[in-house]
Amino acid sequence: MDTDSDKDLISDLPQSIIETILIKVPLLDAVRTSILSRKWRYKWATITQLVFNDPCLTLSHDKSIISCNLVNFITRCLFLHDGPIHKFELDTSYSPTSPDLDQWLLFLSRKDIKELIIDIGEDDWFRAPSCLFFCPKLTHLVLVRCELNPPPNFKGFLSLKHLSLQQVIIPPHDIEVLISSCPLLESLTLSYFDSLELTIRAPNLKYLNLEGEFKDIRLEDTSHLVGISVAMYMTDDIAEHFEQSSGCNFDKFLGGVPCLERLIGHIYFTKYLSIGNEQGSFPVMYQNLKFIELYQVSFEDMKELLVVLRLIVSSPNLEELQISSSSITTTTDIYDLDIWEKDWPADCTFSKLKIVHMTDFSGLPHEIAFIRFLLGHSPVLEQMIVAPTIYVTDKVVKMLIDLLTFRRASPLATVKFVQEPL
Amino acid sequence: MAVVKPEMKSYIWLQTADGSIQQVEEEVAMFCPMIFREVLQTEMGSSKNNAISLPQRVNRAILGLILDYCRFHQLPGRSNKERKIFDEKFIRLDTKKLCELTSAADSLQLRPLVDLTSRALARMIEGKTPEEIRETFHLPDDLTEEEKLEPLRNMTDDPRIRLLNRLYARKRKELKEREKLKNVEVEEEQHVDERSVDDLLSFINGANEDSKSARATKSKKKNRRKEQARNSSINNETGNHNQESNCPTSSCLNGDTSDVPSPSKSSELQDSASVKFSPKLDFDDGDIEDELDPAMKEEIDREVEDFARRLNSVWPERMQEILSLGQERRPVPLSVNGNGSLKRYTGRVFFYKS
Repeated sequence: MDTDSDKDLISDLPQSIIETILIKVPLLDAVRTSILSRKWRYKWATITQLVFNDPCLTLSHDKSIISCNLVNFITRCLFLHDGPIHKFELDTSYSPTSPDLDQWLLFLSRKDIKELIIDIGEDDWFRAPSCLFFCPKLTHLVLVRCELNPPPNFKGFLSLKHLSLQQVIIPPHDIEVLISSCPLLESLTLSYFDSLELTIRAPNLKYLNLEGEFKDIRLEDTSHLVGISVAMYMTDDIAEHFEQSSGCNFDKFLGGVPCLERLIGHIYFTKYLSIGNEQGSFPVMYQNLKFIELYQVSFEDMKELLVVLRLIVSSPNLEELQISSSSITTTTDIYDLDIWEKDWPADCTFSKLKIVHMTDFSGLPHEIAFIRFLLGHSPVLEQMIVAPTIYVTDKVVKMLIDLLTFRRASPLATVKFVQEPL
Repeated sequence: MAVVKPEMKSYIWLQTADGSIQQVEEEVAMFCPMIFREVLQTEMGSSKNNAISLPQRVNRAILGLILDYCRFHQLPGRSNKERKIFDEKFIRLDTKKLCELTSAADSLQLRPLVDLTSRALARMIEGKTPEEIRETFHLPDDLTEEEKLEPLRNMTDDPRIRLLNRLYARKRKELKEREKLKNVEVEEEQHVDERSVDDLLSFINGANEDSKSARATKSKKKNRRKEQARNSSINNETGNHNQESNCPTSSCLNGDTSDVPSPSKSSELQDSASVKFSPKLDFDDGDIEDELDPAMKEEIDREVEDFARRLNSVWPERMQEILSLGQERRPVPLSVNGNGSLKRYTGRVFFYKS
């Protein structure tokens, strides 16, 4: 017998490699390695990442049994675990009861936890215990459907770089304090907050992702922002607030982000920016802004159009523009097309713009004028892609002909008309 | 044969642990962080005489593989797709080589390659049965049957494992009982311990008049237990010192706090509970639920909930003692908060322990 081929191939590798391997395996399989051989009995117990998700669930028709077994499994794993735990993820639609979760979080807070992701239950909100706020090494926090009440002596997460709160209930003042008390925060995601008036102060923030019903968003002290993505939903409450608000939203939101590279706006974002926007002066230039994506822009609202124009004119290095038109069209026939002639200087060029993508195009006069404007002022344009909305059928051929006749500043520009929805 | 090398290319000399010395294009070798650092810090590797010694885990054949990897990836012009295709082909090695490669890449600090090979090894573990994994990696099957079962309790639903659990648990109990009969002093010690706990509890309860009867109950229970132990024909005990000490304590509390069940009834509960539970030593909820009468369960749960709440402050120290008593014990989930829904865990501690 060749002893070489019978020799154990893997058990004597350094523990760091074993952990690297076991981390790449679902937790249940990692724990099962404990019966492989004597050496493997506790190899799994020092892995620093514990991810509990659907593969950990037992197969059963009874929801309470599944839930119970999951709770047992997690508790056992934590108890058998040895050493620091850097990542803990719980991602399941079965909600463990509050005492269990509290205990786990207390345990984790003593184990140098760095990344914490909790997404449990489908309808229930869990209440975050106070021990959550005293995890000093936390760098990455994701909470879904949770009630957060920072205790009075909470000084902030001093190492936190990534914060994502989804459907979280937290007093409005506390969320601002939470954000500003995380000095190293680089990425912030807030989803499905209701009627929030928010001022964000985060000097190191690079990526901002907002989605929900926001009444007012101010970015103060966010000079390092590189990427912004905002989806603003509308309610009657907010619509009223819009009408009554003073001050220029554009300045409040985009006034202090000179390093911005990517801007994405959905739904009522352009409408939000249009409030209080004065035509004319452009105090801030976005030298690094290369990608702009704006969805549901109403080409019938002059103010929204002005916002779009202001954005692109303030971005001399813009390379790619994607605009999706709002599908809400009115029946007015009166369009003031003068602005295209008078207000924009002839020497305004988009010297880096290469790709323009217009979707949900319905042939509105302003849309067509906009395309003509872009074609005429983009000397290095390579592609102009226009995708009509599915509601427009009869005017398609006429629009295509019109578009093709526009003067193109760029010899390389191709105009593509794409029929299928994108 | 002397070969004239073109001026542009420069080479680094590397020496592997098995003695072979070879020269490698500079940009390829420098792709490995460890070599990169060595060259910068020690300025070695410029000639055959001062070749850089590679870590022990890197032998000639493996070095060849690593250099192939570096040669491909160090070129910046490769697309992500190309790299992926190369990687997929690259890791089609036999298991032995894969393990050696992981080890070598780790010692050279070539993280991307470590990740790649780890992923391949992870695929060989994921979803496979233990026998298959042992086969793949030539692992010795050197755990005793009993040891194998321990970590698996509650991790799988295999009924055969549960059955085996019970059989081994019973065997273990018998062994322990025999031991216990020899170690009477140890038991005495236990009595002392729990008496102080009891005192505390009755003090907390404020039920001074009951304490005496409680103690009576307790000693009655203990005697009964000792008898049972001696008989050891039917294993009504869940068989260890702590079990003994804990049950009477809780039954004592039952006597104290609940008006309805009389001490005798509670001890009856105790006994019947222990009778039911003794064969089962695993914490599998499914099993336990099946065997318990729901009304009794309610009763027990309530009492235990009470007890758990009171025992809050004393429990951590108690647990230390229990753990320090040596035998390999399965971990018991602790409920320090003593909230209602944790009662199940504490219940298990008292009624059925391994």
